[in-house]
Amino acid sequence: MTPADRAVRPGAVPKAVVAHAIAPRSSGRPWTFYVLLTVFVLYVLALYGPMICIYILSFQDVRGGLVFPMKGLSLHWFVDLFTQVRTGDVKGAFDRSVKLAVIVTAITVVVSFLAGLAFRRRFRGDGIVFYLMIGSLVAPGLVLSIGVGLLMNFIGIEGRWYTSAVGAQLSWTLPFGVLVMFAVMSRFDRAWEEAAYDLGATRWQAIRLVVIPILAPGIVAVALFGFTLSYDEFARTLQTAGSLNTLPLEIWSMTLNVTSPSLYALGTVTTIISFVIIAACLGTIGLIQKRRASRVPAY
Amino acid sequence: MAAREGAFGWLYISPLMLVLVPFFVAPILVVLAASFLQSDGFGGIIPSFTLGSYVDIFTSGLTLNLYVETIKFTVLTWFFSLTIGFWVAYFLVFHVRSPLLAIGLFLLCTVPFWTSNIIRMISWIPLLGKEGLINMALIRVGVVREPLEFLLFSSFSVVVAYVHQLTIFMIVPIFNSMARIDKRAVEAALDAGASRFDIIRLVVLPLSKNGIALGSIFVVSIVMGDFFVVKVMSGGGSASVVGAFYEDIGVLQYPSAAASAVVLTIVVTLLVTVILRSVDVRKELAR
Amino acid sequence: MSKDRDPLTKSTKYTMSKDHRTTDRASTKRGLSRRALLKAGGAVLGGAAGAGAITGFPTIWAQEIKNIELRHVGVSYSVVKAVGDQAAKDLGFKVTMQNLDTSAAINRFITQPDSVDIADVEGWQSKLATKRGILQGIEVKKIKEFDNILPIFTKGELEGHKIPRQGISPYEAMYITTPEATELHEGVTDWMTFLPQVYNADSIGYRPDLVGHEVTEWKELLDPKFKGKAAILDVPAIGIMDAALCFESAGLIEYGNKGNMTKKEIDFTANKLIELKKSGHFRATWTTFDQSVQLMAAGEVIIQSMWSPAVAAVRVKGIPCIYAPVFVKNGKEGYRGWCNGMGLMRHLSGKKLDAAYEYLNWYLSGWQGAFVSRYGYYSPVPSTAKKFMTDTEWAFWYEGKPAPGPISDPYGVPMEKAGTVRDGGSFVQRVTNISCWNTLMDEAVFMNKRWNDFKVA
Repeated sequence: MTPADRAVRPGAVPKAVVAHAIAPRSSGRPWTFYVLLTVFVLYVLALYGPMICIYILSFQDVRGGLVFPMKGLSLHWFVDLFTQVRTGDVKGAFDRSVKLAVIVTAITVVVSFLAGLAFRRRFRGDGIVFYLMIGSLVAPGLVLSIGVGLLMNFIGIEGRWYTSAVGAQLSWTLPFGVLVMFAVMSRFDRAWEEAAYDLGATRWQAIRLVVIPILAPGIVAVALFGFTLSYDEFARTLQTAGSLNTLPLEIWSMTLNVTSPSLYALGTVTTIISFVIIAACLGTIGLIQKRRASRVPAY
Repeated sequence: MAAREGAFGWLYISPLMLVLVPFFVAPILVVLAASFLQSDGFGGIIPSFTLGSYVDIFTSGLTLNLYVETIKFTVLTWFFSLTIGFWVAYFLVFHVRSPLLAIGLFLLCTVPFWTSNIIRMISWIPLLGKEGLINMALIRVGVVREPLEFLLFSSFSVVVAYVHQLTIFMIVPIFNSMARIDKRAVEAALDAGASRFDIIRLVVLPLSKNGIALGSIFVVSIVMGDFFVVKVMSGGGSASVVGAFYEDIGVLQYPSAAASAVVLTIVVTLLVTVILRSVDVRKELAR
Repeated sequence: MSKDRDPLTKSTKYTMSKDHRTTDRASTKRGLSRRALLKAGGAVLGGAAGAGAITGFPTIWAQEIKNIELRHVGVSYSVVKAVGDQAAKDLGFKVTMQNLDTSAAINRFITQPDSVDIADVEGWQSKLATKRGILQGIEVKKIKEFDNILPIFTKGELEGHKIPRQGISPYEAMYITTPEATELHEGVTDWMTFLPQVYNADSIGYRPDLVGHEVTEWKELLDPKFKGKAAILDVPAIGIMDAALCFESAGLIEYGNKGNMTKKEIDFTANKLIELKKSGHFRATWTTFDQSVQLMAAGEVIIQSMWSPAVAAVRVKGIPCIYAPVFVKNGKEGYRGWCNGMGLMRHLSGKKLDAAYEYLNWYLSGWQGAFVSRYGYYSPVPSTAKKFMTDTEWAFWYEGKPAPGPISDPYGVPMEKAGTVRDGGSFVQRVTNISCWNTLMDEAVFMNKRWNDFKVA
């Protein structure tokens, strides 16, 4: 086995050693660190640029529009978001979008994982399946959704956001998920799995206790993509959502009329929620790690 | 074991097929069929076979212009998202010491995506517009005297919007690839006397090929198949391939829209295949 | 349940939750008190007629329709949730409003007709929908206020002035000979394709402070003085017509029918547009409503095609903006009209169909008319809308008189000060100066192609 074959050995060489290798100065960091840090900070600033506008402008009062100069200071639009006085069903659409995204993410993770497992060996027709998947990725969503709608009407099923929209969105997220799984599994050393079998694990035990933990970062990536892609999906959902809009559909339709800063209020609220969730997750992980570390006797 | 593996292969692949068949294969066949039929001018289809729609596409100069325009955006987006994505991923993998911090920083980058794409698209105006934050800041600092017009409703704003939205699709696969690089290979290179840039060039880059290819596929597919970012951010200054047949659909001219869609699917599939061949993901996977 | 015209229908009035007006027929008065007991809130269905027809039990009607859900789908300036909520409150059944953009809506109607109950269509879309056979004829006899609908829709004229037929006017798209017909009929019949519910006359919006003089002609949009500060909208059919109005106004070309151009005319229009774009005349081609508001409010654009509520939105910000009164002059100029209305999908039948007729009738009974008037849109039955508008509003929006008091937008935000006059003047003035209507051209595919050439240029 060449070093390249032993591609993954978790924990083989502590990261600190490598970081130190790349940054050989005894204290502090090399100049490249600062350059890259600047790049990273600029990137985050650029990412949050539009968000900052959203946060600021969501605090306007009732006269507020979508741009600067800002008019007044109040929580009016947050109230409006929840009471929905104006055109559009933003709150309902948001609920549906989130639920839909969660469903799609869950199914994407499971199905991509299974498909990744399947593709590890050649099987008959695997080329066809692969190219069908690529086709599903690149086909324009607009015509696909019309096609799906036509077929559904022909068969006599009515579209609903929790059935047909799920399927339409899956045809978009699954190729992403499967491709990521390909990349992750290609680096996966079968030796670990073989070792588990040798130790008496059943197939599913091996998968559950060995494969999944090692592939966890890849699975998280699939989940992240699945959520983002589903939450923002527009073209394929357009004709398959049934009579209730998801958020992108609702907002897009609202743009034919006056759009209110309640959208900005929504952005601010989702950001706050996501920060809270992230802080909670990181905090939990940090606590678990600390507790584990404290249990291990110091050398 | 091999025979069982074969059977299991089909079992594991069946959920994927359960989605692909009704939601991709069936509709695309309908679209394919529609592209060979004639429109009656009112949204109806006359069941008479014709290659007219395809002939129109291939003989029209507009098609070429549209593809050039769309590919231009694709290449620019790909280039910038790759450059930024690569360095951000590199920073997170190699320069951030604590894994928890790396995860935290990474999640920080994902928070904007919890806000719907369309809302972010609307918010570019207060940022890039003549009375927007950036122009106000530049004027206040004195860099320019007049607000910059090209920031909004131009090709610049289209690329900015795309890069903003898609860099994360580059970062994630490249991050994954880099994280799997065997640190001993890096150590060995250092021992052999390589400089940091050599390491990047000779060790990191080749081993992140997979991630880069994957990210490229994602970016290319999304940009080539998109229409509303161009429509909204270019202020009507540019058109895109999908944008063009969006308008045909608006007047129920299905055959020409269907033919455009089929051509686009084939073109982008070829692009993706080219990228895949260059790294041969499948070969690496199934030994 | 019989579908004959019930003599009660003609004189039965609706009882709104705001304003309790009871019927003047003894029999229904009896039913009314029972119903009032049952329905908290006092909203009474004008289906007293229907109740009378089902022998005996108005309560069954009220109970049964509670479970009916009407799905009304259309664009967001025509299918408004606030209106649907009010209708549901007044009529007793559930109304689900869904907003889609123009293109997605017509596609949904055509490809998934069973998933929609009330299709909100533009005049020209009604032509498509009828040809595809997805609508059923609306029985004119069942529309209570039909005789009060403005003659624009029932005779093709207003106050003796014939409404122009360039483009697809609602009058020519509204009538069919039988409920299942797929060809439109010229002239009033017993069956309608769609029931108009909102319409307006569009023109150019401009910044009087930055333009410097009054604008009354479309050709001002092309004025080289405004280079880099003009805009049109990015919808091919509408954009091309606006452009046509400009070029005709400037005397560059004369069109046979701006709403149905020949290939040569389309080529001329598109080429001229490309020329203008290349010379940098257009700052942008706006896609979303708010873009048009933003561009005007920020002064990036000082003259552009605009929609009436956008002008109002700019004014709410305290920035002067005028909707140019482009009255017809020398056979040129004139507003571009559009009209949205509700069509009944073919699959409706039984109680759901009755509920749908109630819904249609409710739209013409006034509350909705008053609501849309605050956007600057008009109702096909102004006489009922007037009952729900204050005198101030009526004077401002319909009569074109200086506002006796301040005017607010549909949600109560103050918009105009007392004394302002509506741009373009009175309803009659504006509507009689419509010179063409939103349309679907025979050469639509060709036009789309040329429009994309313009965008790619």
